[in-house]
Amino acid sequence: MAMLEVKNIHTYYGNIHALKGVSLHVDQGEIVTLIGANGAGKTTTLRTISGLLKPRQGTIFLNGDDLTKYPDHEIVYQGIAMVPEGRGVFSRLTVLENIELGAYSRSDRGEIEANTQRVFQMFPRLEERAKQVAGTLSGGEQQMLATGRALMANPKILLMDEPSMGLAPILVEGVFDTIVEINKEGTTILLVEQNALMALQVADRGYVIQTGEIVLNDTAENLRRNPEVQSAYLGIN
Amino acid sequence: MKIKDGIRAGFIALGILIYLDLIGLPKTFGSSMVVTFAVIVFLFSLFSLRTKPAEAPAPLPSVLVNGLIIGVITGLGFALITFGFASLQAQDVKVTDVFAQISHENIEALTGVDKVALREGQSVVPGLTKLAGYFILAGVLGGVITQFPASKVLHIGDEEKRSSARYWLMLALPFLLFAFFLALRIEGVDIGGSEENSFGLVLIYACIAAALFAVREVKAGVHKIGFSALIVALVLVIPQLTDLKQNAILGAVMIFVIMGIGLNIVVGFAGLLDLGYVAFFAVGAYTYALISSPESYIVVNLPWFEGLNFWAGLPIAVLLGAAAGIMLGIPVLRMRGDYLAIVTLGFGEIIRLLLLNLRDYTGGPGGILEIPSPNLFGLDLGNPKGILYLGMAFAVIVTFFTIRLRDSSLGRAWVALREDEDVAEAMGINLVAIKLMAFASGAAFAALGGTLYAARQVNIFPDNFALDVSINVLSLIIIGGIGSIEGVVLGSIALIGLPEILRSVDEYRIVAFGALLVIMMILRPEGFLPSTRRARELHEADLDSPAEFEG
Repeated sequence: MAMLEVKNIHTYYGNIHALKGVSLHVDQGEIVTLIGANGAGKTTTLRTISGLLKPRQGTIFLNGDDLTKYPDHEIVYQGIAMVPEGRGVFSRLTVLENIELGAYSRSDRGEIEANTQRVFQMFPRLEERAKQVAGTLSGGEQQMLATGRALMANPKILLMDEPSMGLAPILVEGVFDTIVEINKEGTTILLVEQNALMALQVADRGYVIQTGEIVLNDTAENLRRNPEVQSAYLGIN
Repeated sequence: MKIKDGIRAGFIALGILIYLDLIGLPKTFGSSMVVTFAVIVFLFSLFSLRTKPAEAPAPLPSVLVNGLIIGVITGLGFALITFGFASLQAQDVKVTDVFAQISHENIEALTGVDKVALREGQSVVPGLTKLAGYFILAGVLGGVITQFPASKVLHIGDEEKRSSARYWLMLALPFLLFAFFLALRIEGVDIGGSEENSFGLVLIYACIAAALFAVREVKAGVHKIGFSALIVALVLVIPQLTDLKQNAILGAVMIFVIMGIGLNIVVGFAGLLDLGYVAFFAVGAYTYALISSPESYIVVNLPWFEGLNFWAGLPIAVLLGAAAGIMLGIPVLRMRGDYLAIVTLGFGEIIRLLLLNLRDYTGGPGGILEIPSPNLFGLDLGNPKGILYLGMAFAVIVTFFTIRLRDSSLGRAWVALREDEDVAEAMGINLVAIKLMAFASGAAFAALGGTLYAARQVNIFPDNFALDVSINVLSLIIIGGIGSIEGVVLGSIALIGLPEILRSVDEYRIVAFGALLVIMMILRPEGFLPSTRRARELHEADLDSPAEFEG
């Protein structure tokens, strides 16, 4: 059975029908990517899964548990953490304070401390700058911080929204290395990306979303070879 | 050490001296105030010119020049102002009409020339020359002291070894002095608030010195209990030293401290701009009045109900205040920024209009009279000194709660809420719960202040709960430094002391606040004593700007 099972969700912004019956699933241990153009509904899908938006129709199951029945803020307690688009670090708090806030949903102090150490191990740069205000970090460091903060919730599945956005090409590779590393340590990942080329290289499977509907669904390798995907998203003619 | 630093420190010190002069300290303490002022100049010079333990002291000529600058600015500035006042008085101009505390006693304390001699044309210049000389000497001396290694004790540093004995001695000092002072009182020696009260001043010095030292130690993370003990000692000592009027003013300051700390939770911690804070103050005051005054609607109409006393009424008023906070909180849960401010502003007015128009219950414009004063084990606290003690005790309790709240996970959640609601929610923070908690605790503190206010005033009227209270409380936390608890105390003292200085232009107080706020926002947007976090936020521009495209 799939770990995360999204079935036929319809989400609206006021009267705008943003998601028109999106269905997807993510299995335990996978990296699944959701690619698509601007405004296709990638971020909306993630925000709906993480509870920030309520679907008018459809269900979202995590390990067989219906997530739509929980209040918004309790979604993270069920094991879903999000790295928001544009990183969303608390720019006026220090790096350490940001990381501590990531563990807000947990109360086991010893575990939290161990988790902090793990995050620092993964991102030594954050430890160096633990007392620095997050807003003064570079874009790449902020991305590390947002990722580390999400990991502090000890999620079963990590939702990442455009982690490579606004980063120098040389840093993008590092971001994807991190994604693979987190996945290897046992966290399932649902990745939304505009950088389809990189996303499809690290992912096991992928979905292509177009104007609020899933139009393609295949293994990452097949998607990479798909001529339509190549011309529309990979820039290959 | 640049000349600029010395000039700046000099003007700040001069400002403080003028403030202390205008609120009437020379009048209360007599000629020993000149020495006190000189000590303040000395401390200013010492603190602004000292160097960090790891650093070599600044070269002697540099600190001498800066000390001299501080001394000259304060000495000349202060002497000139006093000379101006004295000349006006020599020509029979009633300076006290504008500056209530600049009386003949003030001039006599500072220059040694009394009323009669002044009228007869005796010059104040020799007295003022001496005063300026003291200040200059004090400034230079402060600079010189920085050359001694011992002055580095003034700094907190991890590498510095702190001596416990020294610390406890400093803490014990005010207690010992307090005991001595009490003993004198019992012996019938008059030492409080009179002319030439040098002893009282010594006591205040000791307390302030110990407080400064203790704050330093606590900031370094040691001796928290000692610090609390020190605050208790200060609370016990101060009302004994001040006179009736000063006690009354300080009592008002304490009420504003309590409210400021409450509003600070809502605005400073959670970032929810509340312009109708007076509503909760009114709820507290009127609740207590309604259930305690023999004249109130409830007591008059319930034959079996004789009205509660202060201690029974207080928890009810505070609980109702918190309930009012939640009542306002629920409809504004989804509002942010400007919209929230407008709705809360309206809420404050609605409460006032209700009080004014529910004539049968609240007495309308006639208010509620004969509200009982607090009692403690048979001791009547219904006088300025009693109210001040009570106010200080409440302020300490409220501060304690607030510090605990700030350092709890709730406090962190508030900060996250202020920063970014959406991300905070994604972190698992229950926005509804923490917003209501902020409103409820802020409102409860305001209601506490309101209850104390009602007990202090004895009679309350709807006009006491107009918009200007909200504005005052907001102003004082902005001036003190949003989010900072020490700042609230400082802001209250500064702002509630102002009307006392500008008594004759009381109606224009709001204008003075306005001007002060504008100046503050330009010169020091984070307030006088900002929380470290707030200071960081507002000086982000001074740090290196984030470089988006580099590692």
